[in-house]
Amino acid sequence: MESKVLKPILAVYVGLFLLFLYGPFLVLGILSFQQGPEGGPQFPITEWSTFWYKHLFGLAPPSRVSPLPIGEALFRSMTLAGMTMITSTVLGVMSAQAFRKNFRGKSVIFYLIVLGMIVPGVLVGLGTALVATTTGIDRHWWSTAFATHVVYTFPFAFLVMLAIFNRFDSSVEEASWSLGVSPLKTFRKVTFPLIFPGVLSAMLFAFTLSYDEFSRTLFSSGRDQTLPLAIYGTFTVEIHPNVFAFGVLTTIFSFSLLAVYAILMTLSVRRAKRVAIQEAIA
Amino acid sequence: MTVPLHRDALGVARCFGNLHNSQRLRSPYIGALDALAGKMAVEAAIFSLDGVVKRYGAHTALDSITFSIKNNEYVSLLGPSGSGKTVLLRTIAGFEAPDAGTVHVGNHDKTRVPAHLRAIGFVFQNFALFPHLSVFDNVAFGLRYGIMPIAEDAVRERTLKMLDLVGLTGLGERGVTQISGGQKQRVALARTLVTEPKLVLLDEPLGALDANLRTRMRIELRRIREQLGVTFLHVTGSETEALAMGDRVIVLDQGRIAQIAKSDDVYNRPASANVARFLNRYNVFDGVLEGDRFTSPYGQFGFGHRVPDRRSAYAIRYDRLAARASDGPQNGGATLEAGYVASEYLGSAVVHFFEAKGGKVIEVEHHLSNGPPAKYVAGARYVLAWKPDDAIVFG
Repeated sequence: MESKVLKPILAVYVGLFLLFLYGPFLVLGILSFQQGPEGGPQFPITEWSTFWYKHLFGLAPPSRVSPLPIGEALFRSMTLAGMTMITSTVLGVMSAQAFRKNFRGKSVIFYLIVLGMIVPGVLVGLGTALVATTTGIDRHWWSTAFATHVVYTFPFAFLVMLAIFNRFDSSVEEASWSLGVSPLKTFRKVTFPLIFPGVLSAMLFAFTLSYDEFSRTLFSSGRDQTLPLAIYGTFTVEIHPNVFAFGVLTTIFSFSLLAVYAILMTLSVRRAKRVAIQEAIA
Repeated sequence: MTVPLHRDALGVARCFGNLHNSQRLRSPYIGALDALAGKMAVEAAIFSLDGVVKRYGAHTALDSITFSIKNNEYVSLLGPSGSGKTVLLRTIAGFEAPDAGTVHVGNHDKTRVPAHLRAIGFVFQNFALFPHLSVFDNVAFGLRYGIMPIAEDAVRERTLKMLDLVGLTGLGERGVTQISGGQKQRVALARTLVTEPKLVLLDEPLGALDANLRTRMRIELRRIREQLGVTFLHVTGSETEALAMGDRVIVLDQGRIAQIAKSDDVYNRPASANVARFLNRYNVFDGVLEGDRFTSPYGQFGFGHRVPDRRSAYAIRYDRLAARASDGPQNGGATLEAGYVASEYLGSAVVHFFEAKGGKVIEVEHHLSNGPPAKYVAGARYVLAWKPDDAIVFG
């Protein structure tokens, strides 16, 4: 009775949810195949073509549309995201490890850390810029902006690791100690391999959050722009579908990263199962 | 072979040793005494706790625990849940630091030594196997990554030998998530034993196994231990397991040691009313002890044996009671009247449940080797009788 009413409503709800989630990307994807260089970023599609993809890689014939100034920005964003990912994940793992024990001021410190993801990004960026100016520190994407990125992504990595450690059975560590293995080696040989899926998730979080961070970077990155800033800069002049083509390519890149992650996970699970089956047959 | 009061005996041996040194006596007795002292050393305590206290806030989990264990001994530690037995084991292993007291292994004070330098093995109730490693790598773990570096061939040899000993030959390549509970237990044991600890602590090691497997693993545990000559301290909440496994049994009651004795002494001479209760083999009545009479709500009883205790209680073993019709002949002895409730068949015996005044359940065990069990009528009144000499009184 109840499900007859509830189920269609839920189905519609899920459908709408997916539409809002992927709709913009779908529109973006379709428009990236607009004819060029005359075709603009709007419907209808005058003619299907891959002009803007060629344009992106400098393969299109010269036209009045200048190439996207993103080459260096892409490199900076990738490097910054990589640096942020490593720093935040290391800090996240270490602090979550510390939070497994009770210590004085634990809850205060917890809220202070988590605050980093709640404070408005523009304020953090602005504040960092002001502090840098007053203290005479040069603003760069690899210094001041890096600091704001770590402050922003570290709480996420911390929370992911906290959740992982929450389900972690510490008796395996005690077992390792009782076998005469030092705590440091125990971490390397037991704890880390077991929390590794969590570490991977924390890394993905930190990387993606840093990669498309805008508001904090805007004020703190100085002269050399990161990718989101560079793309935003092109918008202020005139929007061409080459931005959409670039968006499609980066999204495909992100998805393939996730796919590699998923394949690696299933492979390791399947390998374990296959060993068991072979043993059972033999 | 075993000297029950080994500590005192060792002390005596030491005194003779001093005498021997200081006075330089050359009597024929000295050689014999030296031999005796040597024998004592073999049976000396390899492990001792002295006045260990552990508190959690206002709650005292361990209250001045003092005992020692000899080399090559199987000691079981019995206690109900909440008696502090797991805390005690974790304190010995070095996972928890005591608030007072010392932990000695051999002659070394290990109270402040971190767990990985204590050379004390620990077998967990949930096995705590390394889920990302194979059976072989689990067992080889302590040899590979322990404080003493060992060549990989030696690791391989010792690991394979240990797998053979615990009956896991040929299962080394399997993942630990793909083996049965009993096999997991063997891996946990092998992993600990391969590092050759002097003392192995087992925290309810059979608790996660089903009943059939539990009985088989009991025998296996004893066999493996005897083969290696290692000392086991086995914690359990099961009185049958404690009595069956241990050369000696330590009974823990609310963070204190209630009794340390051989299995049959614990069974026949429980040191307190609570110990009698944990054994699950005694009907225990509360009451008042005056002179040689014990007054309970069910009547006045005589008794054969008195054990000093803080609170008075009266205990009579299940199999020392007999039930008969209430109008039958009376022949002295202790009796009380109770209504029959039900019976439970145990294979070799039948346990009859009776209900005395105030809903107190009294169990009467009838061994089937003494003939077929009597038929009782539910709700009818019977007289339960026993010889006062068989009863123990506490107080």
